[in-house]
Amino acid sequence: MRETILQTVGLTKRYRKFTALDNADMTVYRGDIYGLIGRNGAGKTTAMKIVTGLTEPTEGSYSIFGKSGQAAQSEKRRIGCLIENPAFFGNLTAYQNLKYYCYQKGITDMEQIDKVLALVNLSDVKNKKFRKFSLGMKQRLGIAFALLDSPDLIILDEPINGLDPIGISELRETFHRLNRENNITFIISSHILSELYAVANRFLFIDKGKVLKEVTKQELDLECSRCLVVRTNDTKKTAMLIESRQGIEDYKIINSEEVRIYDETAKPDEINKMLIGENVGIFGIYESGVSLEDYFKQLIGEEN
Amino acid sequence: MINIMRADIYRMSKTKGMLLFWLFTAFTYIISIASKGYGGITIGATFDIPKNVNVDIGQLAMNSTFYYFLIMPVFCIITSEFSEHTIKNTISSSVSKRLYFMSKFLFSILYSTFSFMLANFGYYAANRLINGRKYSSAPADFAKAFFTQLPMFIAVISALTMFAFLLRKGALYNAVTISAPIVGLMIVQVLMSINSDKELLKKLSGLGEKLLYYHVEVMSQKIVLDPSDSYINNCYIICAAVIVLSFIIGYFSFTKRELN
Repeated sequence: MRETILQTVGLTKRYRKFTALDNADMTVYRGDIYGLIGRNGAGKTTAMKIVTGLTEPTEGSYSIFGKSGQAAQSEKRRIGCLIENPAFFGNLTAYQNLKYYCYQKGITDMEQIDKVLALVNLSDVKNKKFRKFSLGMKQRLGIAFALLDSPDLIILDEPINGLDPIGISELRETFHRLNRENNITFIISSHILSELYAVANRFLFIDKGKVLKEVTKQELDLECSRCLVVRTNDTKKTAMLIESRQGIEDYKIINSEEVRIYDETAKPDEINKMLIGENVGIFGIYESGVSLEDYFKQLIGEEN
Repeated sequence: MINIMRADIYRMSKTKGMLLFWLFTAFTYIISIASKGYGGITIGATFDIPKNVNVDIGQLAMNSTFYYFLIMPVFCIITSEFSEHTIKNTISSSVSKRLYFMSKFLFSILYSTFSFMLANFGYYAANRLINGRKYSSAPADFAKAFFTQLPMFIAVISALTMFAFLLRKGALYNAVTISAPIVGLMIVQVLMSINSDKELLKKLSGLGEKLLYYHVEVMSQKIVLDPSDSYINNCYIICAAVIVLSFIIGYFSFTKRELN
Protein backbone atom coordinates (compact mmCIF):
# COMPACT_ATOMS: atom_id res chain seq x y z
CA MET A 1 0.00 0.00 0.00
CA ARG A 2 1.31 3.46 -0.92
CA GLU A 3 2.29 5.88 1.82
CA THR A 4 -0.13 8.75 2.28
CA ILE A 5 1.78 12.05 2.21
CA LEU A 6 -1.13 14.43 2.58
CA GLN A 7 -4.72 13.83 3.53
CA THR A 8 -7.39 16.44 4.07
CA VAL A 9 -10.81 15.72 5.57
CA GLY A 10 -13.64 18.22 5.19
CA LEU A 11 -11.24 21.13 4.85
CA THR A 12 -13.21 24.38 4.89
CA LYS A 13 -12.13 28.00 4.91
CA ARG A 14 -14.60 30.84 5.27
CA TYR A 15 -13.92 34.57 5.16
CA ARG A 16 -17.04 36.00 6.78
CA LYS A 17 -19.81 35.11 4.30
CA PHE A 18 -17.47 33.97 1.53
CA THR A 19 -16.48 30.31 1.47
CA ALA A 20 -13.10 29.94 -0.23
CA LEU A 21 -12.85 26.20 0.36
CA ASP A 22 -15.84 24.00 1.05
CA ASN A 23 -15.49 20.59 2.68
CA ALA A 24 -12.51 19.53 0.56
CA ASP A 25 -11.22 15.97 0.78
CA MET A 26 -8.01 15.00 -0.97
CA THR A 27 -5.39 12.31 -0.64
CA VAL A 28 -1.88 12.56 -2.02
CA TYR A 29 0.32 9.46 -2.09
CA ARG A 30 4.10 9.22 -2.15
CA GLY A 31 5.39 9.59 -5.69
CA ASP A 32 2.32 11.39 -6.97
CA ILE A 33 2.48 14.46 -9.14
CA TYR A 34 -0.85 15.75 -7.98
CA GLY A 35 -2.45 18.44 -10.10
CA LEU A 36 -4.96 20.89 -8.66
CA ILE A 37 -7.06 22.19 -11.52
CA GLY A 38 -9.42 25.08 -11.18
CA ARG A 39 -10.24 28.54 -12.40
CA ASN A 40 -8.83 31.65 -10.72
CA GLY A 41 -10.39 31.92 -7.28
CA ALA A 42 -11.47 28.26 -7.27
CA GLY A 43 -9.82 27.58 -3.91
CA LYS A 44 -6.52 26.02 -5.04
CA THR A 45 -4.29 28.55 -3.29
CA THR A 46 -6.45 28.49 -0.15
CA ALA A 47 -6.02 24.71 0.06
CA MET A 48 -2.26 25.09 -0.35
CA LYS A 49 -2.09 27.91 2.20
CA ILE A 50 -3.86 25.75 4.76
CA VAL A 51 -1.61 22.72 4.38
CA THR A 52 1.51 24.89 4.54
CA GLY A 53 0.36 26.64 7.70
CA LEU A 54 -0.09 30.09 6.16
CA THR A 55 -3.71 30.11 7.23
CA GLU A 56 -5.91 28.11 9.57
CA PRO A 57 -8.91 26.11 8.35
CA THR A 58 -12.33 27.14 9.64
CA GLU A 59 -13.36 23.48 9.75
CA GLY A 60 -11.85 20.12 8.91
CA SER A 61 -8.41 18.70 9.40
CA TYR A 62 -5.34 17.59 7.51
CA SER A 63 -2.35 15.37 8.09
CA ILE A 64 1.10 15.59 6.53
CA PHE A 65 3.34 12.53 6.49
CA GLY A 66 0.78 10.92 8.79
CA LYS A 67 0.99 13.67 11.41
CA SER A 68 -1.69 16.21 12.22
CA GLY A 69 -2.10 19.28 14.44
CA GLN A 70 1.02 20.57 16.18
CA ALA A 71 2.96 17.42 15.25
CA ALA A 72 2.57 18.37 11.57
CA GLN A 73 4.65 21.49 12.25
CA SER A 74 7.73 19.35 12.81
CA GLU A 75 7.30 17.90 9.30
CA LYS A 76 7.50 21.32 7.65
CA ARG A 77 11.18 20.87 6.96
CA ARG A 78 10.22 18.07 4.57
CA ILE A 79 8.14 20.44 2.45
CA GLY A 80 9.34 22.86 -0.22
CA CYS A 81 6.84 25.54 -1.21
CA LEU A 82 6.11 28.22 -3.69
CA ILE A 83 2.79 29.82 -2.80
CA GLU A 84 1.36 32.59 -4.99
CA ASN A 85 4.04 34.89 -6.44
CA PRO A 86 7.69 34.17 -5.73
CA ALA A 87 8.82 36.58 -3.01
CA PHE A 88 12.43 37.39 -2.21
CA PHE A 89 14.45 40.36 -1.01
CA GLY A 90 14.87 42.71 -3.95
CA ASN A 91 18.17 44.13 -2.71
CA LEU A 92 19.81 40.69 -2.49
CA THR A 93 21.08 38.58 -5.38
CA ALA A 94 19.61 35.17 -6.21
CA TYR A 95 22.54 33.48 -4.46
CA GLN A 96 22.29 35.72 -1.38
CA ASN A 97 18.54 35.13 -1.12
CA LEU A 98 19.02 31.36 -1.15
CA LYS A 99 21.95 31.64 1.28
CA TYR A 100 19.65 33.52 3.68
CA TYR A 101 17.19 30.61 3.54
CA CYS A 102 20.02 28.08 3.91
CA TYR A 103 20.93 29.73 7.23
CA GLN A 104 17.28 29.83 8.21
CA LYS A 105 16.71 26.14 7.45
CA GLY A 106 20.02 25.12 9.04
CA ILE A 107 21.51 23.89 5.73
CA THR A 108 25.29 23.89 6.10
CA ASP A 109 26.21 22.67 2.62
CA MET A 110 26.18 25.89 0.60
CA GLU A 111 26.93 23.92 -2.59
CA GLN A 112 23.26 23.04 -2.50
CA ILE A 113 22.57 26.61 -3.68
CA ASP A 114 24.57 26.11 -6.88
CA LYS A 115 22.91 22.75 -7.44
CA VAL A 116 19.36 24.09 -7.28
CA LEU A 117 20.25 27.18 -9.30
CA ALA A 118 21.65 24.89 -12.00
CA LEU A 119 18.48 22.79 -11.93
CA VAL A 120 16.40 25.84 -12.85
CA ASN A 121 18.99 27.33 -15.21
CA LEU A 122 19.82 30.36 -13.13
CA SER A 123 23.54 29.71 -12.58
CA ASP A 124 24.54 32.49 -14.98
CA VAL A 125 22.52 35.13 -13.17
CA LYS A 126 23.11 34.03 -9.59
CA ASN A 127 24.81 37.34 -8.75
CA LYS A 128 22.06 39.46 -10.24
CA LYS A 129 19.75 41.24 -7.81
CA PHE A 130 16.27 39.76 -7.48
CA ARG A 131 14.55 43.07 -8.28
CA LYS A 132 16.20 43.02 -11.71
CA PHE A 133 14.84 39.54 -12.52
CA SER A 134 12.17 38.99 -15.18
CA LEU A 135 8.93 37.28 -14.13
CA GLY A 136 10.12 33.96 -15.52
CA MET A 137 13.43 34.20 -13.66
CA LYS A 138 11.60 35.05 -10.43
CA GLN A 139 9.41 32.01 -10.93
CA ARG A 140 12.43 29.78 -11.45
CA LEU A 141 14.14 31.16 -8.35
CA GLY A 142 10.95 30.35 -6.42
CA ILE A 143 11.20 26.77 -7.64
CA ALA A 144 14.90 26.67 -6.69
CA PHE A 145 13.89 27.80 -3.19
CA ALA A 146 11.33 25.01 -2.98
CA LEU A 147 14.03 22.48 -3.92
CA LEU A 148 16.65 23.90 -1.54
CA ASP A 149 16.25 21.56 1.42
CA SER A 150 15.90 18.34 -0.64
CA PRO A 151 12.25 18.05 0.38
CA ASP A 152 10.04 14.96 0.21
CA LEU A 153 7.02 17.02 -0.82
CA ILE A 154 7.02 20.07 -3.08
CA ILE A 155 3.96 22.32 -3.23
CA LEU A 156 3.92 24.72 -6.17
CA ASP A 157 1.18 27.25 -6.81
CA GLU A 158 0.95 28.21 -10.48
CA PRO A 159 4.67 27.52 -11.07
CA ILE A 160 4.59 28.02 -14.84
CA ASN A 161 3.13 31.52 -14.76
CA GLY A 162 5.38 33.86 -16.70
CA LEU A 163 7.59 31.14 -18.17
CA ASP A 164 8.30 30.90 -21.89
CA PRO A 165 7.48 27.64 -23.75
CA ILE A 166 11.07 26.36 -23.53
CA GLY A 167 11.19 27.20 -19.82
CA ILE A 168 7.91 25.35 -19.27
CA SER A 169 9.19 22.29 -21.11
CA GLU A 170 12.50 22.30 -19.14
CA LEU A 171 10.64 22.65 -15.88
CA ARG A 172 8.33 19.78 -16.78
CA GLU A 173 11.39 17.61 -17.39
CA THR A 174 12.87 18.70 -14.03
CA PHE A 175 9.65 17.77 -12.19
CA HIS A 176 9.52 14.38 -13.88
CA ARG A 177 13.20 13.71 -13.16
CA LEU A 178 12.94 14.66 -9.48
CA ASN A 179 9.80 12.60 -9.16
CA ARG A 180 11.36 9.59 -10.87
CA GLU A 181 14.90 9.69 -9.45
CA ASN A 182 14.34 11.16 -5.97
CA ASN A 183 10.77 9.94 -5.43
CA ILE A 184 9.71 13.49 -4.60
CA THR A 185 5.96 14.02 -4.38
CA PHE A 186 4.57 17.13 -6.06
CA ILE A 187 1.37 19.09 -5.59
CA ILE A 188 1.05 21.56 -8.44
CA SER A 189 -1.81 23.93 -9.08
CA SER A 190 -2.59 25.57 -12.36
CA HIS A 191 -5.43 26.91 -14.41
CA ILE A 192 -3.56 25.93 -17.60
CA LEU A 193 -5.05 22.48 -18.06
CA SER A 194 -2.86 21.27 -20.92
CA GLU A 195 0.32 22.00 -18.99
CA LEU A 196 -0.86 20.32 -15.84
CA TYR A 197 -2.03 17.34 -17.88
CA ALA A 198 1.48 17.01 -19.31
CA VAL A 199 3.11 16.79 -15.90
CA ALA A 200 0.68 15.30 -13.34
CA ASN A 201 -0.45 11.71 -12.82
CA ARG A 202 -3.40 12.43 -10.52
CA PHE A 203 -5.82 15.33 -10.69
CA LEU A 204 -8.20 17.15 -8.43
CA PHE A 205 -10.79 19.33 -10.14
CA ILE A 206 -11.97 22.17 -7.97
CA ASP A 207 -14.43 25.01 -8.54
CA LYS A 208 -15.95 27.65 -6.26
CA GLY A 209 -14.22 26.03 -3.32
CA LYS A 210 -15.75 22.62 -3.93
CA VAL A 211 -13.95 19.48 -5.00
CA LEU A 212 -15.59 18.28 -8.20
CA LYS A 213 -13.63 15.14 -8.91
CA GLU A 214 -10.38 13.34 -8.08
CA VAL A 215 -9.09 11.16 -10.91
CA THR A 216 -5.94 9.41 -12.05
CA LYS A 217 -4.44 10.20 -15.42
CA GLN A 218 -5.65 6.85 -16.78
CA GLU A 219 -9.21 7.59 -15.66
CA LEU A 220 -9.02 11.04 -17.15
CA ASP A 221 -7.72 9.67 -20.44
CA LEU A 222 -10.53 7.19 -20.49
CA GLU A 223 -13.13 9.87 -19.91
CA CYS A 224 -11.70 12.26 -22.44
CA SER A 225 -10.50 9.92 -25.17
CA ARG A 226 -12.25 9.51 -28.52
CA CYS A 227 -14.61 6.57 -28.61
CA LEU A 228 -17.71 5.10 -30.21
CA VAL A 229 -20.69 5.31 -27.89
CA VAL A 230 -23.24 2.53 -28.35
CA ARG A 231 -26.49 3.06 -26.45
CA THR A 232 -28.68 -0.06 -26.34
CA ASN A 233 -31.32 -1.80 -24.21
CA ASP A 234 -28.97 -4.75 -23.49
CA THR A 235 -25.38 -3.78 -22.81
CA LYS A 236 -24.27 -7.32 -21.84
CA LYS A 237 -25.45 -8.83 -25.14
CA THR A 238 -23.98 -5.84 -27.00
CA ALA A 239 -20.61 -6.35 -25.35
CA MET A 240 -20.65 -10.07 -26.06
CA LEU A 241 -21.49 -9.48 -29.75
CA ILE A 242 -18.87 -6.77 -30.16
CA GLU A 243 -16.23 -9.08 -28.75
CA SER A 244 -17.23 -12.32 -30.47
CA ARG A 245 -18.34 -11.02 -33.88
CA GLN A 246 -16.19 -7.95 -34.35
CA GLY A 247 -13.13 -9.11 -32.40
CA ILE A 248 -13.04 -5.87 -30.40
CA GLU A 249 -11.63 -6.13 -26.90
CA ASP A 250 -11.00 -2.45 -26.10
CA TYR A 251 -14.43 -1.44 -24.80
CA LYS A 252 -16.09 -0.58 -21.50
CA ILE A 253 -19.65 -0.93 -20.20
CA ILE A 254 -20.36 2.48 -18.71
CA ASN A 255 -23.90 1.86 -17.39
CA SER A 256 -27.02 -0.19 -18.15
CA GLU A 257 -27.52 1.62 -21.47
CA GLU A 258 -24.05 2.59 -22.64
CA VAL A 259 -21.03 0.76 -24.03
CA ARG A 260 -17.96 2.70 -25.13
CA ILE A 261 -15.64 1.26 -27.75
CA TYR A 262 -12.11 2.69 -27.77
CA ASP A 263 -10.84 0.55 -30.69
CA GLU A 264 -10.31 2.94 -33.61
CA THR A 265 -11.09 0.25 -36.20
CA ALA A 266 -14.69 -0.12 -34.98
CA LYS A 267 -17.17 0.73 -37.75
CA PRO A 268 -20.50 2.20 -36.59
CA ASP A 269 -22.51 1.00 -39.61
CA GLU A 270 -21.33 -2.61 -39.19
CA ILE A 271 -22.08 -2.61 -35.47
CA ASN A 272 -25.49 -1.09 -36.15
CA LYS A 273 -26.30 -3.79 -38.72
CA MET A 274 -25.08 -6.56 -36.40
CA LEU A 275 -27.12 -5.36 -33.41
CA ILE A 276 -30.30 -4.98 -35.49
CA GLY A 277 -29.77 -8.52 -36.83
CA GLU A 278 -29.54 -9.82 -33.26
CA ASN A 279 -32.69 -7.92 -32.16
CA VAL A 280 -30.89 -5.59 -29.79
CA GLY A 281 -32.74 -2.30 -29.29
CA ILE A 282 -30.50 0.61 -30.33
CA PHE A 283 -30.99 4.09 -28.86
CA GLY A 284 -28.02 5.55 -30.66
CA ILE A 285 -24.53 5.07 -32.04
CA TYR A 286 -22.23 8.06 -32.24
CA GLU A 287 -18.65 9.14 -31.91
CA SER A 288 -17.65 10.96 -28.76
CA GLY A 289 -14.57 12.40 -27.07
CA VAL A 290 -13.80 15.65 -25.37
CA SER A 291 -10.76 17.83 -24.87
CA LEU A 292 -9.50 18.44 -21.35
CA GLU A 293 -10.99 21.94 -21.44
CA ASP A 294 -14.38 20.63 -22.54
CA TYR A 295 -14.23 17.95 -19.88
CA PHE A 296 -13.54 20.59 -17.23
CA LYS A 297 -16.34 22.77 -18.58
CA GLN A 298 -18.68 19.78 -18.38
CA LEU A 299 -17.69 19.18 -14.77
CA ILE A 300 -18.33 22.79 -13.85
CA GLY A 301 -21.60 22.70 -15.80
CA GLU A 302 -22.77 19.56 -13.99
CA GLU A 303 -21.97 21.16 -10.64
CA ASN A 304 -23.80 24.36 -11.49
CA MET B 1 15.45 30.17 16.68
CA ILE B 2 19.25 30.34 16.35
CA ASN B 3 18.96 29.58 12.61
CA ILE B 4 16.51 32.43 12.07
CA MET B 5 18.81 34.81 13.92
CA ARG B 6 21.87 33.63 11.96
CA ALA B 7 19.95 34.22 8.72
CA ASP B 8 18.96 37.70 9.87
CA ILE B 9 22.53 38.62 10.81
CA TYR B 10 23.57 37.58 7.30
CA ARG B 11 20.79 39.64 5.72
CA MET B 12 21.46 42.69 7.87
CA SER B 13 25.09 42.59 6.74
CA LYS B 14 23.84 42.98 3.14
CA THR B 15 21.12 45.55 3.81
CA LYS B 16 21.71 49.22 3.13
CA GLY B 17 18.94 50.24 5.53
CA MET B 18 21.30 49.86 8.46
CA LEU B 19 23.78 52.17 6.74
CA LEU B 20 21.26 54.98 7.28
CA PHE B 21 21.21 54.22 11.00
CA TRP B 22 24.99 54.53 11.20
CA LEU B 23 25.08 57.59 8.89
CA PHE B 24 22.57 59.54 11.01
CA THR B 25 24.29 58.43 14.22
CA ALA B 26 27.73 59.40 12.92
CA PHE B 27 26.42 62.75 11.68
CA THR B 28 24.91 63.58 15.09
CA TYR B 29 28.04 62.54 16.95
CA ILE B 30 30.47 64.29 14.60
CA ILE B 31 28.62 67.57 15.20
CA SER B 32 28.65 66.93 18.96
CA ILE B 33 32.38 66.15 19.06
CA ALA B 34 33.35 68.97 16.71
CA SER B 35 31.28 71.59 18.57
CA LYS B 36 32.03 70.14 22.00
CA GLY B 37 28.31 70.34 22.64
CA TYR B 38 25.31 68.10 22.61
CA GLY B 39 22.29 67.86 20.39
CA GLY B 40 19.84 65.72 18.51
CA ILE B 41 16.26 65.57 17.34
CA THR B 42 13.73 66.97 19.80
CA ILE B 43 10.07 67.84 19.54
CA GLY B 44 10.22 70.39 22.34
CA ALA B 45 9.54 68.27 25.38
CA THR B 46 13.13 68.50 26.63
CA PHE B 47 14.31 70.72 29.47
CA ASP B 48 17.48 72.79 29.44
CA ILE B 49 20.60 70.79 30.22
CA PRO B 50 22.74 72.36 33.00
CA LYS B 51 25.97 73.91 31.71
CA ASN B 52 28.25 72.04 34.11
CA VAL B 53 27.34 68.69 32.56
CA ASN B 54 30.06 66.97 30.53
CA VAL B 55 29.58 66.76 26.77
CA ASP B 56 29.20 62.96 26.74
CA ILE B 57 26.64 62.91 29.55
CA GLY B 58 24.78 65.78 27.88
CA GLN B 59 24.74 63.78 24.65
CA LEU B 60 23.40 60.77 26.56
CA ALA B 61 20.60 62.99 27.84
CA MET B 62 19.75 63.78 24.21
CA ASN B 63 19.50 60.08 23.36
CA SER B 64 15.78 60.38 22.61
CA THR B 65 17.10 60.99 19.09
CA PHE B 66 17.68 57.24 19.02
CA TYR B 67 13.94 56.69 19.20
CA TYR B 68 13.88 57.80 15.55
CA PHE B 69 17.11 56.05 14.58
CA LEU B 70 15.94 52.72 16.05
CA ILE B 71 12.92 52.71 13.72
CA MET B 72 15.38 51.67 10.99
CA PRO B 73 16.77 48.34 12.30
CA VAL B 74 13.29 47.16 13.32
CA PHE B 75 12.03 48.13 9.86
CA CYS B 76 14.84 46.17 8.20
CA ILE B 77 14.37 43.09 10.39
CA ILE B 78 10.57 42.81 10.41
CA THR B 79 8.66 45.23 8.18
CA SER B 80 10.70 44.38 5.07
CA GLU B 81 9.63 40.71 5.48
CA PHE B 82 5.99 41.80 5.25
CA SER B 83 6.46 44.31 2.44
CA GLU B 84 8.52 41.87 0.30
CA HIS B 85 6.15 39.00 1.29
CA THR B 86 9.19 36.83 2.11
CA ILE B 87 7.56 35.89 5.41
CA LYS B 88 5.48 33.32 3.47
CA ASN B 89 8.64 31.42 2.53
CA THR B 90 9.64 31.03 6.17
CA ILE B 91 6.24 30.20 7.62
CA SER B 92 5.33 27.74 4.84
CA SER B 93 8.46 25.62 4.95
CA SER B 94 10.60 26.32 8.01
CA VAL B 95 9.00 27.34 11.26
CA SER B 96 5.69 27.97 13.00
CA LYS B 97 4.27 31.46 13.39
CA ARG B 98 4.93 31.22 17.14
CA LEU B 99 8.62 30.46 16.76
CA TYR B 100 8.95 33.05 14.01
CA PHE B 101 7.50 35.79 16.21
CA MET B 102 9.63 34.92 19.21
CA SER B 103 12.82 34.76 17.11
CA LYS B 104 12.15 38.08 15.42
CA PHE B 105 11.09 39.82 18.64
CA LEU B 106 14.22 38.66 20.44
CA PHE B 107 16.51 39.37 17.50
CA SER B 108 15.09 42.88 17.08
CA ILE B 109 15.83 43.65 20.71
CA LEU B 110 19.30 42.09 20.69
CA TYR B 111 20.41 43.58 17.38
CA SER B 112 19.03 47.07 18.03
CA THR B 113 20.33 47.13 21.61
CA PHE B 114 23.76 46.04 20.42
CA SER B 115 23.76 48.79 17.75
CA PHE B 116 22.60 51.35 20.34
CA MET B 117 25.36 50.31 22.76
CA LEU B 118 28.02 50.29 20.06
CA ALA B 119 26.99 53.78 18.94
CA ASN B 120 27.05 55.23 22.47
CA PHE B 121 30.32 53.67 23.58
CA GLY B 122 31.86 54.42 20.19
CA TYR B 123 30.87 58.04 20.66
CA TYR B 124 32.29 58.06 24.19
CA ALA B 125 35.63 56.68 22.97
CA ALA B 126 35.82 59.08 20.02
CA ASN B 127 34.94 62.09 22.16
CA ARG B 128 37.51 61.14 24.81
CA LEU B 129 40.17 60.60 22.14
CA ILE B 130 39.49 63.79 20.23
CA ASN B 131 38.36 66.25 22.92
CA GLY B 132 40.32 64.79 25.85
CA ARG B 133 39.37 64.25 29.48
CA LYS B 134 38.24 67.83 29.96
CA TYR B 135 35.15 67.19 27.86
CA SER B 136 34.44 63.64 28.94
CA SER B 137 33.36 61.80 32.05
CA ALA B 138 35.07 58.89 33.75
CA PRO B 139 34.30 55.58 31.99
CA ALA B 140 32.45 54.27 35.07
CA ASP B 141 30.25 57.39 35.27
CA PHE B 142 29.36 57.21 31.59
CA ALA B 143 28.67 53.45 31.80
CA LYS B 144 26.47 53.95 34.88
CA ALA B 145 24.44 56.69 33.21
CA PHE B 146 24.14 54.63 30.02
CA PHE B 147 23.00 51.45 31.73
CA THR B 148 20.49 53.37 33.85
CA GLN B 149 18.98 54.65 30.61
CA LEU B 150 19.21 51.34 28.68
CA PRO B 151 15.95 49.66 29.92
CA MET B 152 14.02 52.60 28.51
CA PHE B 153 15.45 51.94 25.06
CA ILE B 154 14.77 48.22 25.31
CA ALA B 155 11.14 49.21 25.94
CA VAL B 156 11.27 51.56 22.93
CA ILE B 157 12.62 48.75 20.70
CA SER B 158 9.92 46.37 22.00
CA ALA B 159 7.22 48.92 21.20
CA LEU B 160 8.65 49.50 17.72
CA THR B 161 8.72 45.72 17.17
CA MET B 162 5.09 45.47 18.24
CA PHE B 163 4.15 48.24 15.79
CA ALA B 164 6.00 46.37 13.02
CA PHE B 165 3.98 43.19 13.62
CA LEU B 166 0.75 45.10 14.16
CA LEU B 167 0.92 47.45 11.17
CA ARG B 168 2.90 45.27 8.72
CA LYS B 169 2.96 47.84 5.92
CA GLY B 170 6.17 49.87 5.68
CA ALA B 171 4.59 53.27 5.08
CA LEU B 172 2.08 52.78 7.89
CA TYR B 173 4.78 51.61 10.30
CA ASN B 174 6.94 54.64 9.49
CA ALA B 175 4.04 57.08 9.76
CA VAL B 176 2.81 55.74 13.10
CA THR B 177 6.20 55.31 14.77
CA ILE B 178 7.55 58.69 13.66
CA SER B 179 4.43 60.52 14.74
CA ALA B 180 3.87 58.62 18.02
CA PRO B 181 6.04 60.89 20.25
CA ILE B 182 4.47 63.99 18.66
CA VAL B 183 0.95 62.67 19.24
CA GLY B 184 1.91 61.75 22.80
CA LEU B 185 3.21 65.25 23.45
CA MET B 186 0.11 66.80 21.92
CA ILE B 187 -2.12 64.81 24.27
CA VAL B 188 0.02 65.89 27.22
CA GLN B 189 -0.18 69.52 26.12
CA VAL B 190 -3.94 69.37 25.70
CA LEU B 191 -4.31 67.93 29.21
CA MET B 192 -1.94 70.49 30.70
CA SER B 193 -3.74 73.38 29.05
CA ILE B 194 -6.96 72.58 30.90
CA ASN B 195 -7.61 75.46 33.24
CA SER B 196 -10.66 74.94 35.38
CA ASP B 197 -11.78 74.86 38.99
CA LYS B 198 -13.71 71.65 38.47
CA GLU B 199 -12.14 68.74 40.39
CA LEU B 200 -12.10 66.26 37.48
CA LEU B 201 -10.56 68.75 35.07
CA LYS B 202 -7.98 69.76 37.67
CA LYS B 203 -7.03 66.07 38.00
CA LEU B 204 -6.74 65.73 34.24
CA SER B 205 -4.45 68.74 34.10
CA GLY B 206 -2.30 67.21 36.85
CA LEU B 207 -2.23 63.91 34.98
CA GLY B 208 -0.91 65.73 31.90
CA GLU B 209 1.94 67.15 33.96
CA LYS B 210 2.79 63.69 35.35
CA LEU B 211 2.62 62.11 31.90
CA LEU B 212 5.07 64.67 30.56
CA TYR B 213 7.74 63.25 32.87
CA TYR B 214 7.27 59.85 31.26
CA HIS B 215 7.40 61.07 27.67
CA VAL B 216 10.30 59.37 25.83
CA GLU B 217 12.14 62.66 25.38
CA VAL B 218 11.87 63.76 29.01
CA MET B 219 12.53 60.27 30.37
CA SER B 220 15.79 59.82 28.47
CA GLN B 221 16.94 63.20 29.80
CA LYS B 222 15.73 62.99 33.38
CA ILE B 223 17.07 59.45 33.95
CA VAL B 224 20.57 60.68 33.12
CA LEU B 225 20.56 64.19 34.63
CA ASP B 226 18.11 64.32 37.48
CA PRO B 227 17.30 60.82 38.68
CA SER B 228 15.63 60.06 41.96
CA ASP B 229 15.15 56.49 43.11
CA SER B 230 11.38 56.72 42.97
CA TYR B 231 11.45 58.23 39.46
CA ILE B 232 13.81 55.53 38.20
CA ASN B 233 11.62 52.84 39.78
CA ASN B 234 8.53 54.29 38.13
CA CYS B 235 10.37 54.42 34.81
CA TYR B 236 11.44 50.79 35.10
CA ILE B 237 7.91 49.67 35.97
CA ILE B 238 6.61 51.50 32.88
CA CYS B 239 9.40 49.98 30.75
CA ALA B 240 8.63 46.46 32.00
CA ALA B 241 4.93 46.99 31.28
CA VAL B 242 5.68 48.25 27.76
CA ILE B 243 7.93 45.26 27.03
CA VAL B 244 5.35 42.72 28.27
CA LEU B 245 2.42 44.45 26.54
CA SER B 246 4.38 44.81 23.31
CA PHE B 247 5.16 41.09 23.34
CA ILE B 248 1.56 40.08 24.03
CA ILE B 249 -0.07 42.47 21.54
CA GLY B 250 2.55 41.71 18.86
CA TYR B 251 2.22 37.96 19.40
CA PHE B 252 -1.56 37.82 19.16
CA SER B 253 -1.81 40.28 16.30
CA PHE B 254 0.71 38.21 14.33
CA THR B 255 -0.44 34.68 15.11
CA LYS B 256 -4.17 35.30 14.87
CA ARG B 257 -4.20 37.34 11.69
CA GLU B 258 -3.99 36.00 8.15
CA LEU B 259 -0.76 36.33 6.18
CA ASN B 260 -1.42 37.90 2.79
